[in-house]
Amino acid sequence: MAHQGQSFRSARSTSGGSLTTKLYEINWLLLTLVCLVGLVGVVMIFAATDGIWQRGAFQHLTRIGLGAIAMLGIAMIDIRIWYRLAYPIYIIGIILLVGVEFAGVSVNGSVRWLDLGVARLQPSEIMKPAIVLALARYYHDLPEWRVSHVWGLLGALFLMIVPMALIFRQPDLGTTLLLAATGVAIVFLAGISWRVIGFASVFATIAITVFYQFGLKAYQKERILTFLDPSRDPAGASYHITQSKIALGSGGVHGKGYMKGTQRQGEYVPENRTDFIFTVIGEEFGLVGGFMTLGLYMAVIGVCIWLSLQCKEVFSKLMILGLTTTFTLYIFINLGMVMGLAPVVGVPLPLISYGGTVILAVMGGFGLILSAHLHRGVELPRNG
Amino acid sequence: MSSPVNQNQKDKTQVTRRTAILGAGGLGVFGVLGARLYQLQVLQAEDYQALSENNRFNFNMLLPERGEIRDRFGRALAKNRQNFRLVMIPERTPEIDLTLDRVAEINPLSERQRNRIIRDIRQNPKFIPILIEDNMDWKTFSALNMRLHDLPGIVSEAGQGRAYPKNGVFSHVLGYIGRAGDRDIESDTDPLLRQPTFRIGKTGVEASQEKTLRGASGQLKVEVNARGRIVREWPDPQTRATSGKDVWLTLDSELQEFAAKQFATEDEGDDSGGICVIDVITGELRTLLSMPTFDANLFVSGLTQADMDQLNNDPKRPQYNKAIAGGYPPASTFKMAVMLAALESGLIDRNDPIFCGGKIRLGNRNFHCWKRQGHGKMDMRDALKNSCDTYFYDVSQVVGIEAIADVARRLGLGEKYQIGVGGGISGIVPTAEWKQNRLGTGWRMGDTLNSSIGQGFVLATPLQLAVMTARIANAQSAVKPQLVIGQEMESFKPLDFDPLHLAYVKDAMWSVTSEPGGTAYRTQSFAQTLGLEDIQMAGKTGTGQVRGISMTERASGIRKNSKLPWKLRDHSIFVGYAPFDNPRFAVGTIVEHGGSGAKRAADITRAVLGEALRRDGVISPLSTPEGALK
Repeated sequence: MAHQGQSFRSARSTSGGSLTTKLYEINWLLLTLVCLVGLVGVVMIFAATDGIWQRGAFQHLTRIGLGAIAMLGIAMIDIRIWYRLAYPIYIIGIILLVGVEFAGVSVNGSVRWLDLGVARLQPSEIMKPAIVLALARYYHDLPEWRVSHVWGLLGALFLMIVPMALIFRQPDLGTTLLLAATGVAIVFLAGISWRVIGFASVFATIAITVFYQFGLKAYQKERILTFLDPSRDPAGASYHITQSKIALGSGGVHGKGYMKGTQRQGEYVPENRTDFIFTVIGEEFGLVGGFMTLGLYMAVIGVCIWLSLQCKEVFSKLMILGLTTTFTLYIFINLGMVMGLAPVVGVPLPLISYGGTVILAVMGGFGLILSAHLHRGVELPRNG
Repeated sequence: MSSPVNQNQKDKTQVTRRTAILGAGGLGVFGVLGARLYQLQVLQAEDYQALSENNRFNFNMLLPERGEIRDRFGRALAKNRQNFRLVMIPERTPEIDLTLDRVAEINPLSERQRNRIIRDIRQNPKFIPILIEDNMDWKTFSALNMRLHDLPGIVSEAGQGRAYPKNGVFSHVLGYIGRAGDRDIESDTDPLLRQPTFRIGKTGVEASQEKTLRGASGQLKVEVNARGRIVREWPDPQTRATSGKDVWLTLDSELQEFAAKQFATEDEGDDSGGICVIDVITGELRTLLSMPTFDANLFVSGLTQADMDQLNNDPKRPQYNKAIAGGYPPASTFKMAVMLAALESGLIDRNDPIFCGGKIRLGNRNFHCWKRQGHGKMDMRDALKNSCDTYFYDVSQVVGIEAIADVARRLGLGEKYQIGVGGGISGIVPTAEWKQNRLGTGWRMGDTLNSSIGQGFVLATPLQLAVMTARIANAQSAVKPQLVIGQEMESFKPLDFDPLHLAYVKDAMWSVTSEPGGTAYRTQSFAQTLGLEDIQMAGKTGTGQVRGISMTERASGIRKNSKLPWKLRDHSIFVGYAPFDNPRFAVGTIVEHGGSGAKRAADITRAVLGEALRRDGVISPLSTPEGALK
């Protein structure tokens, strides 16, 4: 075993390689694509804020820059350190979430923020990569025969449910569902048997029904109901969706031109700097701009999957795919919402929407992906 | 069981297979998103573009400028003027109380005003301008403009307002304008009426000529944002508002002002009453005045409760249009109708004298002549000249009320005229049938006697008295009054009285004013007063009883009218026309509780009739091109 690992090291890049070698070996394609998406965000935030730099575009650009540096920094750190830090990061995330519970700052009726004096932090954003790390580590360590076993399953469920419950209490339904979906995706990737999947589906259907009846707040139920029937409340909740569709639809194939969106100028689409920024893209750049954005995202996701395939270790693969899943789900939920295919749940469009913690969390995630790929030859311990 | 390496290998293939499944799923979702985008932006693009335009544009209504109302010479009676006002846009005012304090330093704001402003601010979106002060004078307005930099959110505007420049003399005729009420909006579908700042005519000519004065709205295309705030305007010349057309009245504003001055008294303010000057040929009204007047401008700027109370509690009822809505017993001015009925009936010989001993007895009741000691022998002409009641008591019994009423109606009494000022009444020309319907009791001979001297049930307005006089003076056609120039009029029907009979009545009316002993005889002749050669007038006095005069009073003759309280004094009435030989104008005048018998009304009539003639000679319609006698 030791010999095999050794031979790997000689063939491929290693943790012992010099800094410049490491920098050279980093997958620059992913970094470039990620920064490109971030720049799309800068351009669109600039439009959404009527061309005023200080109202978001500048901050976004700074964050993309800082994020890129963080991404590189995280990528340089050996995967074995990340492997070892997987649980501690997870526990820190849980502690921060508990902190929110007791000392959080309330914004729009939801307590999601933690004021650290220097900056405000949204611990639920940190939890997204943290849960991926924890689950990847969990399945990496779990012997294959126990993956579909009751105790193996319960362990994974425990790791998922604790942060989900804390985030749900904030309340933040969107992020809760995102964590659930990411967790389920990792469990699926880890190779759980189709039989268990079948049982789980039946159970989940029942659980969701019960949960909807008793677990949701009135406004959360309302959002789901208005999604299913937008005419319920034309001036209220479904107003977002209607105006958002008008913005997209009126953009047509070529769009109304940069800075010329009338829906945007008239401030018809609320939150178009953050969650609804895709409406600005759709309105001002039309179908062409929309497809280009989708293409850019698909390229990022494709590269990530390709990177995961090159990794040997289960931890690396699951981590890359888990983070990619989170990223993809962000896109699906956000675009589904903006296009009127999913309920309004307040999930940003990653890298494009304005918002600091999300960018740093997402780019930090890409740093982890780069790290896993960069150190794909490194062997991780396995206690089976 | 197996080595870690093997397991790693096994896991890896598992993960790879599952990655492919998940990846395929992800691709599918991207496909759905792409398809949805295609659906929205290509297939449904047109619908959404239309919705986007709907969002974006509003059509704001542009209000037309209201037409002006002018007199026959083009002098403005109701016009539009700059309305200097101050509004506040609350969202631009950080400290509303402080700002209001500063405004109040220059333009005092009452407690009520302030409360109203605060309430308006609370009830409206913060970008809607709230009215602070309306109808400001130029001095205050410019002083505030100088300090605008100190007053964030305060905006000065020069809008349109209605002004009535002639000091209230035309208030009753013109009426006033106001915000459309629910009933107006129901009966008129013009969307202008829904505009909060739009005003429509509520009464008078402003209301009756609304269609002409209003004009048509225009539209302004404006781009608005989600909160309704205007982002920019799109000028579109095709939808500019069309101003209302001016309305010209037959009135002579200077004559009307002159007439108003004649109602002034030394110690009791303006007398109460009405006067009407009518062209005996065309029926055009030169003056239509109710006294005292009120300032209609007060209604425009908003009346205080104190002003309102004062107007409502004034015993002289300034708001009441006495010229067309005041029904008064015509008293002795009705005697022309009785006289004409007697002549037309052929039952009475005008030269047959009747003896007046101061009263006649009917059944067990005495009917007194105003002259207690009696007039002695009177023929018809003398009876009118002296206004002998006994003569008419006697004649009316022969002629009968039906014949009298018929003549009175043909002379224009008992009819409501559509002159474009609402609120007119038809007055009363009583008959047996009328009494049966109205009071449910039969006609008595006593009623005929009372009616024969214009008392009892008979009621007429100054306008009707003027029309009656005009018809007598005209002698040929049944003249009808006209107020609005261009108003469609039926051609006058023939009057159908024997010209000789009318000439006789007119001659008797001349004797009233021009022969010594006539009830309106003045030592200084009408022509002398006027300074015009050979112009004579004819007329008739009337003294309208306000209260039932007790038998003992009648008997004792204690009727010191001027010593009675104002409310109980008789109405002073006079009708007249001039020139006698070639009539131009007829006048009907009533002065409520006008003191010493008919003298007050006679003096006013004399002066106004003289002024009308003088003005007609000096400013003939031909010499002024705008005279617009259509």
